[in-house]
Amino acid sequence: MRYVTNEQRRRRTLFKPTPWAVVSWLIRSLPLSSLPATVQQARHLRLSLLRYSIAAALFVVFVFLALAAPGFFTASNLLNVLVNNFAILAIVSLGMTLVICSGGIDLSVGTAIDISSLVFVSLVAAKWDLRAALVAGCVGAAAVGAFNAFLIAPLRITPFLATLGTLFIGQSVQQLASNGGQPIYLVTGAIPGDFTFVGRGSFFGIPFPLVLDAVGAVVLFLLLQRSPYGRYILALGVQPGVARYSGVRVQRVSALVYILSAIGCGVAGIILSSTVKAYVPLSGNAYLLDSIGATFIGTTLHVEGRPSVQGTLVGVLLLSVVTNGLLLIGWNFYWQQVGTGVLIFLVLAASFIGRRLRIR
Amino acid sequence: MFTSVMIYFAIAAPGFLALSNIANVLEQSAILGVLSFGMTIVFIGGGSDVVTGGIDLSLANNLGLSAAVYSTLVRSGYSDAVALPLTLLTGLAVGSVNAFAVVGLNMLPLLATLTVMNICAGFELVLTQNTVVQATSPLLSAIADTGPFGVPNLAYFILFLAALLIFGIEHTPFGLRLYAVGAYRQAARAAGLRINRYLIATYLLSGLCGGIAATLSVALLSGSSTGSGEMLLPVVFAALLGVVFSRRLVPSISGTLLSVLFIGFLINGFQLTNVSSYWVNGVEGVLILLVVAATSLSRRGQS
Repeated sequence: MRYVTNEQRRRRTLFKPTPWAVVSWLIRSLPLSSLPATVQQARHLRLSLLRYSIAAALFVVFVFLALAAPGFFTASNLLNVLVNNFAILAIVSLGMTLVICSGGIDLSVGTAIDISSLVFVSLVAAKWDLRAALVAGCVGAAAVGAFNAFLIAPLRITPFLATLGTLFIGQSVQQLASNGGQPIYLVTGAIPGDFTFVGRGSFFGIPFPLVLDAVGAVVLFLLLQRSPYGRYILALGVQPGVARYSGVRVQRVSALVYILSAIGCGVAGIILSSTVKAYVPLSGNAYLLDSIGATFIGTTLHVEGRPSVQGTLVGVLLLSVVTNGLLLIGWNFYWQQVGTGVLIFLVLAASFIGRRLRIR
Repeated sequence: MFTSVMIYFAIAAPGFLALSNIANVLEQSAILGVLSFGMTIVFIGGGSDVVTGGIDLSLANNLGLSAAVYSTLVRSGYSDAVALPLTLLTGLAVGSVNAFAVVGLNMLPLLATLTVMNICAGFELVLTQNTVVQATSPLLSAIADTGPFGVPNLAYFILFLAALLIFGIEHTPFGLRLYAVGAYRQAARAAGLRINRYLIATYLLSGLCGGIAATLSVALLSGSSTGSGEMLLPVVFAALLGVVFSRRLVPSISGTLLSVLFIGFLINGFQLTNVSSYWVNGVEGVLILLVVAATSLSRRGQS
């Protein structure tokens, strides 16, 4: 009588000669104890590799640029990248991360940047005390955030539309305030001594914007991961209905999130105008898409694809390194944009393929 | 809402309701309208969730790239018979990259179209070297010309396209299934619809709309323009406002048509009453917020 043993059944179902199975069999047969020894471990390794693909891509890009571009790996260039490309985008992206963690989105970051820049530069030009002007700039940005918060929390307008409306109104306000797009330049004699400290000064040898970045990142991380408010914010982003039923004050938490993000953008705006010594209308809009991109690049680092502080910082780093590197390699300026876009596309594709494999 | 604004402008500005003015508004809104139709189709098929829902951010730069293609081809001496299909093909190509990224690679539409948008902007800069490329040709002149009753051809075109899309999306089985896919994807899949095909179709259609709008834009401006990326926010805005203007509070072509006309008449009315154009953006923003707030509050009152 022909019968099939359980052993034979097990052998038949487990043997799937996919390429990865073959490779993992080969790896398994090597006499190395730290490599994956079972199919589960191999799959885990593959998922981790794909999950860290962004960090890996960053590393690869970095190495490639160090080898291919002559001036890339010098200290002065790296510092230049950090201060110019990275710093402002990092603060804006941290604010965006906070908002996306709470389940919304903030399209008006450019408005917050520009309004704070406008207030700051106008007040300095009007001979206000520097520190008062700084505070006033942040208050201006907070006002933008409060406007967003008012639309989103009590009026329950969906964040996409609400911040879009704020963006439009902000554009109009800026056009009116600047007489149609005239930048406000600060004459060199009228600048108080400490004015450029925010943009270009250093704090124990570290450029001040980077100090602000570090402080902001640490504060945000502590807020999100180690404080009850952070728990409420994350809960709001993951399961808003459950959060509401659990007693989280949804309106207050959302309002806080948008105001905080706007204050962050206010700081970014002050750094920006301190660096260029002027207020240029509508210059904040360039940061919107990059900050969204950086935040979402950062989501690929997380196990479940949630935004995180460290992920966002990696994303901003990737974007700024690529921008700088392509410039140094000497690509035509327009091909740089194509190159950056294609690179980000590939990185995101790799991470999303990884996520799909993870679900399976 | 719409009628009240119309009435206000009709009273405030003398020539508002003249046929020539209405036709002018239609002509100016044509490009925005075509792009917004494409965006609306993606909204319909993709679902309305903010983060994971369907959206096509690359439309504005798709327009820019296709317009650059058209202008460069015409300037290099190719005839319309070659340039026009290639332009539409460029739009379709961008749409297919979007479709591949969203459906094939399972990316979030927000991210995928964001990256494609940057890539399109880059290619457009490469083609035009950041200059305005002049282009004239028989077809372009014909498009920009005026037709019967002294009404511009563009006005007829937008109405014709709107009618075509309204019929195709709201009165055919295809359209109904597209709504089903967008509203509740799992249920549609359980009912046997091939989700991926519908999603691919939405992105291809929106890419095609980008190509069509590019043709209109080149006709209207006699060449490509460098500022096409700025059109993104008005397009998204118009498509979202179309939700408010539609009868069932879902994205719909007719709602989008109304919202595009609304924006057009608003800008036109401001021009006629000599209000500074700086106020336009602000008033747009305030109005949309009022409308959306009123709608959401009233909807909550019902449920």
